Amino acid sequence: MSERRMRRLLLGLGILGTAGFCLAPLVVMVATGLASRPDFLRADVPFALTLDHVRSVLTDPTAHFLAYVRNSLVVAALSASLAVAVASLAAYALTRLPLPGKAAVLVAVLALSMFPPVSLLGFLFRAMAQLGWINTHQALVFPYAAWTLPLAVWVLVSYFASIPRELDQAALVDGCTRLQALRHVVLPLAAPGVFSTLLLAFIFAFNEFLFALMLTTDHAARTLPVGIALFEGLHGQVPWGEIMAAATVTTLPVVLLTLVFQRRMVQGLTRGAVKE
Amino acid sequence: MPADRPYARAGRVLAPWRRAAGYLLPLALLIGGLVLVPVIGTVIQSAFRDVVFLPRSFVGLENYARLLDDPAFWQAARFTVLFMLASVPLELVLGLGIALVLNQTFVGRGLLRALVLIPWVIPAAVSGRIFERIVASGEHGAASWLLQRLDLADQPVHWLGSEAGSFLALLVADAWKTTPFVAIILLAGLAQIPVTLYDQARVDGASLWRRFTAVTLPLLRPVLVVAVLFRMIEALRIFDVVYVLTGGGPGGTTTSLSLLAYAHYSAGDLGYGAATSTVLFLVTFALALVVVRVGRFGRELS
Repeated sequence: MSERRMRRLLLGLGILGTAGFCLAPLVVMVATGLASRPDFLRADVPFALTLDHVRSVLTDPTAHFLAYVRNSLVVAALSASLAVAVASLAAYALTRLPLPGKAAVLVAVLALSMFPPVSLLGFLFRAMAQLGWINTHQALVFPYAAWTLPLAVWVLVSYFASIPRELDQAALVDGCTRLQALRHVVLPLAAPGVFSTLLLAFIFAFNEFLFALMLTTDHAARTLPVGIALFEGLHGQVPWGEIMAAATVTTLPVVLLTLVFQRRMVQGLTRGAVKE
Repeated sequence: MPADRPYARAGRVLAPWRRAAGYLLPLALLIGGLVLVPVIGTVIQSAFRDVVFLPRSFVGLENYARLLDDPAFWQAARFTVLFMLASVPLELVLGLGIALVLNQTFVGRGLLRALVLIPWVIPAAVSGRIFERIVASGEHGAASWLLQRLDLADQPVHWLGSEAGSFLALLVADAWKTTPFVAIILLAGLAQIPVTLYDQARVDGASLWRRFTAVTLPLLRPVLVVAVLFRMIEALRIFDVVYVLTGGGPGGTTTSLSLLAYAHYSAGDLGYGAATSTVLFLVTFALALVVVRVGRFGRELS
């Protein structure tokens, strides 16, 4: 076989394999969520499409699904905004001000992000209990913001560093304060980077499980991942149709975000992890 | 005045930081208050017998002595290390394969890149439940169904009933969730390899495989090392997918250190849980120091 044909064959197999690997579990999820019976793979059970499970997840008041959606969106949006605002200020100082030893500070911030979350939990749980914050949104918003800050700082520093300093220096000469230079010059120019960071921080907060599991107790603050993980039937049998319908509804917006903004996300991720 | 010199030097280093305080204080407060203080607090907590509803008492290293005699701790440590050793190479090979595919030019490349990201953006708790469904026992589980269709099994497989089956299920579920991250990082590394090197190797008559081993792998090494270390750290602290998919079972054989610490916390034994997570923290921190050394981060600033 010529090398060219071999290459084409390998590439074709690779594309099929990659797509299959990524999609197969999603097919199981969607099929189970939309099938009239979750055991449709059995020979004696016919497959029929239905929206019953989706409807029941969305409308059943005892499932609290919409409350989980609301909690997840509120917590992820607030913590991502907080993280990006705080990280922007820090990244501005770290790229624009002459600070001796700032590389060491950045590295220390990076090292902090590698702590296992469980090693914060014992103390955090006690602290939140003392504040009376258990089962509130703020019990998650602040830890999530802190937890995503290292990533946010790293990504924003690399974006801010790529913006010519002469531009904001000119603004300073024209009489802007440093904060105005950040707001009117650096942030607009770094907008793609800021957006990538916001997106990544949002996804991290949206997906977080351990803190949410420990620091919330019911639908007043419980987020989607915990809600879906703890979703059990009332009558002993696992309601797979409802669980997979809930998973499908949860996954849909994230998948759409990914399809639309994949370039931004990849940029943000690789800026954080690979230095050019 | 020579005596003043050290102070003057400290002042020169500190003064710019003081001027930048307004920008860095929010960062310091959030990270200090919600990451650094809790970690130190948890380490201190591990020196106490701290059980809910009972008075706290200082016990020194007693919790750690208890850990050493606790078969559940050793079982969790063994599982966590084995899982890391199995999952990281698997994800690396799969991730490298996917990255090599995505590095080619073909129609629909952007779409495939987006597809690859999807498993990574889905919450691990949700993908854990999807895989719970896939490995469900009985003939309605997709994995059992497929094996029977392919004549590889003559009756439904009860995956989560055995240690090996549970381990395998976790391995696959974790690989699905985290391989995309590895692939994206490696893809960025591949993109930095100059095309001229491949052209030159081709002129020299190097085969496809030879070009992969002589050009791609050596030039990708720095990125590979970073990806491996990041993944090792993440694998060591695995929690979500274990909690959802196997719950640590059967018989505690798939309980990770994070899950064990969580179990102690939720049983109300905060001091013992803190000791368990402190051990995990020390191991991870040592690895993190290696990452920071190897990765040579922060060059762009200096």
